[in-house]
Amino acid sequence: MLETRGLCKNFGALEVARDIHFRLEPGARHALIGPNGAGKTTFINLLTGVLAPSKGSILLEGEDVTALAQAKRVKRGIARTFQINQLFLGLTVQENVCIAVSERLGVGGAMLRPAGKRADVLAEAGRLIEMLKLGNDAGRRIIELPYGRQRLVEIAIALGLAPRVLLLDEPAAGIPSAETHILLDAIATLPKDIAVIIIEHDMDVVFRFAERITVLVSGAVFAEGTAQEIAANREVRAVYLGSALDA
Amino acid sequence: MSPAPDVLQRRHRFQWWELLPWAAGLAMFFAFPNYLSFGTQLLVTILFALSLDLVLGYAGIVTLGHAAFFGVGAYTVGMLAQHLGWNEPLSGLLAAGLVAGLVGLISGFVLLRTHGLTLLMVTLCTMTLLEQAANMGHAWTGGFDGMPGLSFTKILGLFSFDVLYFKSQYLYALSVLALGFIVVRTLVYSSFGQSLTGIRENLLRMHAVGAPVRGRLIVVYAISAALAGVSGGLFTQVTGYVNLAVLGLERAAGVMIILILGGHGRLYGAFVGAITYLVLEHLLAKAYPTAWQLGLGLTLVAVALFARGGLLGLFEKLRGAR
Repeated sequence: MLETRGLCKNFGALEVARDIHFRLEPGARHALIGPNGAGKTTFINLLTGVLAPSKGSILLEGEDVTALAQAKRVKRGIARTFQINQLFLGLTVQENVCIAVSERLGVGGAMLRPAGKRADVLAEAGRLIEMLKLGNDAGRRIIELPYGRQRLVEIAIALGLAPRVLLLDEPAAGIPSAETHILLDAIATLPKDIAVIIIEHDMDVVFRFAERITVLVSGAVFAEGTAQEIAANREVRAVYLGSALDA
Repeated sequence: MSPAPDVLQRRHRFQWWELLPWAAGLAMFFAFPNYLSFGTQLLVTILFALSLDLVLGYAGIVTLGHAAFFGVGAYTVGMLAQHLGWNEPLSGLLAAGLVAGLVGLISGFVLLRTHGLTLLMVTLCTMTLLEQAANMGHAWTGGFDGMPGLSFTKILGLFSFDVLYFKSQYLYALSVLALGFIVVRTLVYSSFGQSLTGIRENLLRMHAVGAPVRGRLIVVYAISAALAGVSGGLFTQVTGYVNLAVLGLERAAGVMIILILGGHGRLYGAFVGAITYLVLEHLLAKAYPTAWQLGLGLTLVAVALFARGGLLGLFEKLRGAR
């Protein structure tokens, strides 16, 4: 589905990604973990085209997309959420989701028909808003919502792009633990043919969600395997998981 | 109470109060026949402010050089009339819109790689360059003196411009404004307009949903430039002259003040702002002929401190708080 070969990224002498070989199978539920500064978000930025790699290549369904601009990769089915919310603060929840859906359906540049008359866009946005239990807030502006609710809009926007590969950058960060289940339910109900990568520090979320886990340390792949393998891996426990699992 | 979730589905529908500005425009025609010259200036200014609202208020393009396009339109109409004897009003306006739109397209292609303060400076530079070009191209533009005493043929071959009472000028400007308004209103409520507000609110996210951000900005910049060009062309036609002031910083800053006063990104902010600005200028100049700009300055300070959304924003807030 998605593959990287020898992916490297330097900022001057600083190596933030080192020879990353990574494979994502169709429908995979894959977690990316590692200490702060390990290069997890950098890796997402390389996959989405926000950053260009210094070396190596990225393949989507066997096709080289390394040189493709961000917008083109979105059209090919790579969508992401941000570690810190990136929303249209002054617009309503409904508008936020509609903007994403309009772009996916190719009507984002249409000038004549009112946006409020696009039944297909409105219906799809409405479906996603209901799915993330945001129905009561649909007409509210983002700025009026608590951070945890905003976090769900991030996901709704990404889903509005009908991705085949979904990259979730710490989706649960900032969501009160009582509401995490809405997020996990949403992820659990995603169609099986969407491959999902999740970056997360909450190990409960990681082990409930992920089938495979990649551990990044200092920009390089430290370990990779099934959730059970990683949980049992002594070295991983030593460098990262240790306290998180014993607690 | 949470707002109704179907705002998006309803906001493009015409509301009864949207007839008010046009009713007021017609009422002015009958009630104040001696003020129609002032009224015509007001209508031209509203159209210009409306074009700025499209880029500044909706797309978030910070420009201090929008008079560049007003000026290009004004000079297009002036030079066509002066040198080619092309003084038919409607085709003149069309030419003004086309030329200004083309200048907008080309300059937008170059300038819209930048944002914020840089963009502010380069738009200002573009306008100043055009102003100097108009100043130096004496043979075509009349240089510093401009082109006075231009005359135009009858509108649609029926209504001649009357220099004394401004009657046909006023109705002509009102019609052009109505057309321009319909264009802007259609655009801002479309999916395209929605994507512009997305660009204004969060550029990073707009890239991440796969929108061709720069292309959208260039298109709206060109459309806005064309509208500004039409308002400039209209200015030349109704006043019968054109000079360097159409390209000046004062005009560019003035229209920005108008939008801030009325409320940007609000469609009717251009109307409220232009009326407030011109009436304020009129009254203050009468009361304090030497220091009237002080009053304007104080008003702006008050708006910046207490009414960020301009007068319309203030009105919305008061209505929401009730």
